[in-house]
Amino acid sequence: MHLLNLIRPAFKLIAPKITKYGLFLTMPRKISTCGTLRMIYLNKNISKNVDENIDLDEWKLVVLSGLEKEAFEKASPEEEPNIAAIKEYIDMSRRLGKAAPENITEEQLKRLIEYPSVSSRNRYLAFLASKEMKKNAEKEKKKKQQEERDALRKTIDNEELIPKNRLFRAIWESSMDVVYNWKAAQAMSFGQPLVFDMDFNDMSEREMQNTVNQMMECEGLNRKAVEPFHLHYCNLKEDGPYHKEFLKRYGDTWDNLFVSVTEKSYVELFPRDQIVYLTADSPNVMETFDHNKIYIIGCLVDKSIRKGVSLARAKRLKLATAQLPLERYFHWKTGAKVLTLDQMIMILITLKNTGNWKEALEFVPKRKHEGFLDPSLQHFIHRQKNKKISQQNFKKKLLVEELSKKRLWNGLWEE
Amino acid sequence: MGFFLPIRNWVLQTLTFLPVSTKQNFTAVYRRFTSTTLCRWAESIDSKTFYPEMKIKDSSMMKKKTGKNRFSPKPFSAFAAGSSKMRAICNTNNAVANDSSSPLNIVSPPDTPLSAKEWEKLKEEYQHFKNFENVMFESMIANHSPVDVAKSLLVAMAKRDGDIEYNYLVMYLAICVFHKDIEEIYDIYNIMKAKYKSLEASAYSLLIKGLSDSPHWKETLVLLEKVKKVSFHSKQNYGDCIEGALLNQERNLAFELFHEMVAENLTPPLTTIKLFFDFCQPVKDDHLKNKCTDILYYLRNHQIYPDESLMLSIKQWFESIPGENWKGSLTSMNNSYCSRQCPSCGHFLEDINLSEEEYINVKEKIKRDVIEGTDVFRNTSPQELERFQRFMNEHPPFDVVIDGLNVAKTTLRNPSSKTLLDVVFYLAQKYHRLLVLGRRHMLKHSFQWKKSDMDAMQKKADFFFTDNMSKDDPFLLYATFHSGGHCMIVTRDLLRDHKAVLSDSVTRRLFFKWQRGHQMVVSSYIPGKILTFEDALPYDTIVQTDGNTWHIPYDDNLSNRASFEIPGKWLCLQKK
Repeated sequence: MHLLNLIRPAFKLIAPKITKYGLFLTMPRKISTCGTLRMIYLNKNISKNVDENIDLDEWKLVVLSGLEKEAFEKASPEEEPNIAAIKEYIDMSRRLGKAAPENITEEQLKRLIEYPSVSSRNRYLAFLASKEMKKNAEKEKKKKQQEERDALRKTIDNEELIPKNRLFRAIWESSMDVVYNWKAAQAMSFGQPLVFDMDFNDMSEREMQNTVNQMMECEGLNRKAVEPFHLHYCNLKEDGPYHKEFLKRYGDTWDNLFVSVTEKSYVELFPRDQIVYLTADSPNVMETFDHNKIYIIGCLVDKSIRKGVSLARAKRLKLATAQLPLERYFHWKTGAKVLTLDQMIMILITLKNTGNWKEALEFVPKRKHEGFLDPSLQHFIHRQKNKKISQQNFKKKLLVEELSKKRLWNGLWEE
Repeated sequence: MGFFLPIRNWVLQTLTFLPVSTKQNFTAVYRRFTSTTLCRWAESIDSKTFYPEMKIKDSSMMKKKTGKNRFSPKPFSAFAAGSSKMRAICNTNNAVANDSSSPLNIVSPPDTPLSAKEWEKLKEEYQHFKNFENVMFESMIANHSPVDVAKSLLVAMAKRDGDIEYNYLVMYLAICVFHKDIEEIYDIYNIMKAKYKSLEASAYSLLIKGLSDSPHWKETLVLLEKVKKVSFHSKQNYGDCIEGALLNQERNLAFELFHEMVAENLTPPLTTIKLFFDFCQPVKDDHLKNKCTDILYYLRNHQIYPDESLMLSIKQWFESIPGENWKGSLTSMNNSYCSRQCPSCGHFLEDINLSEEEYINVKEKIKRDVIEGTDVFRNTSPQELERFQRFMNEHPPFDVVIDGLNVAKTTLRNPSSKTLLDVVFYLAQKYHRLLVLGRRHMLKHSFQWKKSDMDAMQKKADFFFTDNMSKDDPFLLYATFHSGGHCMIVTRDLLRDHKAVLSDSVTRRLFFKWQRGHQMVVSSYIPGKILTFEDALPYDTIVQTDGNTWHIPYDDNLSNRASFEIPGKWLCLQKK
């Protein structure tokens, strides 16, 4: 009792402060299963203190009073009514927080109207919005960099930190370009051919753009390699969709590329028995990189995955096919085994220069696999794949799988 | 002592609260632990008893590769409603779904309207939210807060900013629509009309939904027209408009809207169809009656199956027709007898066979779309196709076509050839002419494919082997179609990818009908003991009538049917 008497006045001092803030850190009355602390607002006590009746319809008056000003601003120039309505529609959905661009060109609008469903239109709008956002972010970034550069230049000018005597002149990108071009020219005369098959015409416009993007990347990566390939763009129709897109993207550089471009097929250029068509659907697994073979990559981006398109092409021309040994080297996780063109060319360049599969397959995206397989397991799987399925091998594979499973288990427990 | 009570309460709560949570956690962890260990024990025990290596392979393969249980064929029924979901549950150990709602995202909206100052204060409490009003409105919508609370937040915002942005108006509208506060909805509608030239789809559909059962329901038709100008209709918008028209006894308008909707290729929601049957009940009008039966014919032509509530409405509608004395009863067909007779009235249901014309049509489409497709080389090669056609022309029509590889892989307990042998011998007792399709690699003697078995089979059946790289399913389909309407197909494959390749929906529907009538499935197989087939259905599952009776298949609420399955329950209506 004595103790209580001591505590009571102390609490009386604290208590009003707590109630003044109107907030208690309390536990919920009902014990909830998630068990998180919640802030419960004691609004009942407070709304009694402050004015009891809030005018609930006040907002309507406020909104309507602001209206007359806006109505004047809305006198926009006359446009085609349908297009104006759709522009308005986009604007309204942007206000709702949906992904839609702020500015839209006439051409984009026309294409938008052509889309046959709500979801496809929304997808296109979201695409335009993300494009716009990227553009704005880039602009901002450039501006910032420019400012930083200016600031730096000022300080450098003031302090004159740079030594004036140097052994070499600064190496600019243009001088690097000269070196690369020399190497590319050398590859044009002595290099191993690598063929891009461009005879895929039933792609959508987006897919075509993506393909050309990847092709440009490929060409750049090849040029910077220690020993570049001699690239052939086969089946490239003059004034076809590929050609137009290339001209649009490269501009004048297109004529100065160190690449052989032909309308002919690869079958006319090279002996058939040297050609190997690379496709993920092939039943044959590529063992080693052969420096005497001519590898063909199909220039195809298909967002709606059509299986066996390039395999069908190889079958028609009776060409040898091969797929990369992805399953032999990886614990495959997700995603298609189809790689992008730039990943393919990096893998081939690395193979050509080092012959090391592990190093080459580093270019396979990390999200698609869970790391390399153990070499001992590779040995088993390798043998298993090449030999006929006999009972003995059957058992061995099972053992291997159990082994790998155990390893996986151990790994999981260790983590 | 009274002073201490709340504190003590608080302590008590924490005391009881904490142990409970830890206990729960503990049990959850404990359960998870035991379940995993049990799984592993089960595997190891199994593997020791029987075929040590093969069992391990199977259990690990099962999860990893296809998710298909290949070891012991679980009873397999192909098209019964809900069976694919059952199979999915059998084949995968469904992980316990973890609902992780982070405490940061929880905002509990107040119960009573607050003043502007109080809202400011509350906003400071939740500083970590970028957009407090947005989050608050969203939680109000989720918790179905009263309209007044949302209104008070609007007032606070209007006082501060002098204006209310469009997205808040729409969210407030959503709250009003939920509580069916019609006056408020109409006010918002007027404000929006005054403020903006046009709105976007979500606001339009909310307005249509909100105004449909109010005196202002005619406005919904105007709104519907406006949506059409800038975007596409959704079936929900039409459904709401139809509801508005029906509630106000404008039946003809409702039917007009229905036809417009169907003409725009929108599938009407089942609830809308139910409304027609509910609201046309008390009417003794022949014209209206015909229109309602037209809806039933629509269901028939588009192969839509009613759900249980719609079925009850239809039943009631029929029974309420004056002077005709309909009697409805619920039954389910007896699959075991394979008869077309309805168990409740004894009438024969429609035959599943396609008509001559339809049959030829589907056959041509399969040849064009499935086998040749965009590129013959993708599935096969022209030489092989020619070889196959020659083979089919040389042989008289077959009774059964067997998908060799599919049947052989029914179980892993047996070598593949032995399984196939069992099936072929079993079928040879019943049918005369069998065709087995396979790939070349089956002919090479191996552990899985024994030469002796293959030789024994070839005495009983004809064989056609495709290249190892070709696909065998297209050939399977074509061989069955080529042999004629009596020919059956044996495979566990549901043939969904081939159905998807077909170009138009009518052909797809016909193909599915053919498939139901001609596909036999190995439903259970234990080597040397049991071999049973699920036979093809003799009747067509579709809304059907012969004037004096109606038979309507429907989905009951319990089974969730996949799109490639058919319901098993029927409503049988009979005129007495």
